[in-house]
Amino acid sequence: MKRIELLSPAGDIERLKVTLLYGADAVYIGGEKYGLRANATNFSLDEIREGCEFAHKLGKKVYLTLNIVFHNEDMDGVEEYIQEVVDAGIDAFIVSDPFIISYIHEKFPDVEIHLSTQASTTNYKSVEFFLKQGVKRVVLAREVSLKEIKEIIDKTGIDIEVFIHGAMCTCYSGRCALSNYVTNRDANRGGCAQVCRFSFAVLGDDKKEFTFATKDNNLAYYIGDLIDAGVRSLKVEGRMRSLYYLATVIGTYREIIDRYYNHSLSDEILKELDERLARVANRAVSTHYLLGEAGSDSQYYTGRNEASNQDYLGQVISYDKDKKLVKIYERNYFTKGDYVELFTPSGERISFEVEKLYDEDFHPVDVARHPDNIYYIYLDTDISIVGYSMIRLLHH
Amino acid sequence: MKVLVEVASKKISRYVDSCDALLLGLEKFSVLNSVTFSLDEIENIVKSYPDLEIFVKVDKNIFNDEIDEIRHVLERLEQMSIRGVFFYDLALLEFKQELNLSLDFAWSQTHMVTNFRTCDYYFKQGVSYALLSKEITLDEILDICHQSKIKTIVEVVSLPSLGYSRRKLVSNYYEDSGSVGPSTLSLLEKITNKHYLVKEEDNGCGFLLDEVLNGTGVISSLYQAGVCYVLLREEGIDDFLELASDTKKYIAGKCLDTKYVEKYKKLGDSTGFFFQKTIYRVKK
Repeated sequence: MKRIELLSPAGDIERLKVTLLYGADAVYIGGEKYGLRANATNFSLDEIREGCEFAHKLGKKVYLTLNIVFHNEDMDGVEEYIQEVVDAGIDAFIVSDPFIISYIHEKFPDVEIHLSTQASTTNYKSVEFFLKQGVKRVVLAREVSLKEIKEIIDKTGIDIEVFIHGAMCTCYSGRCALSNYVTNRDANRGGCAQVCRFSFAVLGDDKKEFTFATKDNNLAYYIGDLIDAGVRSLKVEGRMRSLYYLATVIGTYREIIDRYYNHSLSDEILKELDERLARVANRAVSTHYLLGEAGSDSQYYTGRNEASNQDYLGQVISYDKDKKLVKIYERNYFTKGDYVELFTPSGERISFEVEKLYDEDFHPVDVARHPDNIYYIYLDTDISIVGYSMIRLLHH
Repeated sequence: MKVLVEVASKKISRYVDSCDALLLGLEKFSVLNSVTFSLDEIENIVKSYPDLEIFVKVDKNIFNDEIDEIRHVLERLEQMSIRGVFFYDLALLEFKQELNLSLDFAWSQTHMVTNFRTCDYYFKQGVSYALLSKEITLDEILDICHQSKIKTIVEVVSLPSLGYSRRKLVSNYYEDSGSVGPSTLSLLEKITNKHYLVKEEDNGCGFLLDEVLNGTGVISSLYQAGVCYVLLREEGIDDFLELASDTKKYIAGKCLDTKYVEKYKKLGDSTGFFFQKTIYRVKK
């Protein structure tokens, strides 16, 4: 039996590399055209090629989003673009438009087609329709329950991908044009302005604000159930998320999945891993529809409820074993005496107190107060510390 | 070009002289219809009003436990002399093909019916009509009409629907605030000073712009382009029957009566996206 895939977003080439190093089996990316994050960094053709080469050397995969709702004008050049990205080495397209599905299936039968969640597929009968059109995998609507997911797999045998972590839409994907009407930004062509997180006044109740913003999705406690249900891929949302966020979330889910397979995932460990996920969260979380109806505790009602995260202290550039110095690229203020944790792509974790701290010119300092600067932290360890390891604050 | 009316009343006799075709919401399976009809009621309407073309709207997202019932619905509708079925979920198209149904289908995926090539894809799959999205421009609509083989339907008057959620947003709001109230909330977006409605029903919550889409001024262009039906949605529109009747006469006169366009300026100046293109890249 195939092991379940952990699928990560990647907004640029650096995030692609980091997330694969932290344990993702595959990444999904957006090109410069036709993806639903028109305002993300996105990948040029050269970067797609570089990302595919990097992933394939690790035995991993790259999927490209081509999931806008096409207007007439968007069709110009799409065939050439598909050819170019196939040549660049992508392993699958994530598509919602059935015409595009039929085109790819006809011209590139060896390239997998994954049906985007934008198609809001909620039942086995519509999966049967897409299966006949050449779709290999379906990213189900986020509105389906665990029971329904299992039933769809049992009845169709198709590969199913499920969102396990990250931001949620209020409406069915694809069935929302709020952004178009409120901001003139086309939600279904990558311009979504997240109007569902805007604050509205309730007429007749002057004191009340109203948002219909959702809490984030977190299915950490149900990974085993999803594996047992026969799900093929677990997807993390967030092509615009930071390196630190991806490293933490992907690293944590990697550990949950591996521990589940090797029977070492106790309730206590799962709780600890979930707390780790909470440290990078900027919204409260919910399981939304997984266990049934998304209830009143799955959304916010007033204003934006987002916290900025100051835990991330810096990214490791290198470790000098002889001098016992970790060279870091600082992201947030910290001081001597702080208790921190260094974690590596392979899952090693080292907790320690910052005893000695130096600036870029090796002058001793008490405080690292300038984000984007280089600092050195003294650390005596035998553990292999490589680039793209990260340091976070445990407590001051 | 014919006038298709989405009804907001069960009294069908009132529509007989004012339109060519009716769009009826189906009990349990249509969204954002203030009145819906059972299969038996639809059967009676078809028999009682043979001069009216009847379309049935089955446009909710379908879940596994509804599949058997949807099959039954389609088999019943196949036995009636209806003009067609408006569908959203692809499970319906799968059934049409699997059961070899002769029912005409109208692709009605609200915000996703936006280009001629996908229209043609559905045409090849046996779909006869496409209800074009409201979020494309008049030029794009005309282009689809010229380039696709599918028969087109264009919504010209309505309180436009903007989105649909499975969530019970209004009930949740009351639960959170410890209050009770009606199933529809009126909202004001303060920056743009625009009004919206959130309407909760059994299938979830729909969002509507609380401002009439007035496409009466583009009907002439749609007629010239060969659009098959113009859709007028009754919900929330004052003096609706007069509007429908006038529209029918306007089209019968081949859209030459300038008084019609003048008269219906009273619906307001919101022309939706007919003359306004959306953007999606906001970074330099």
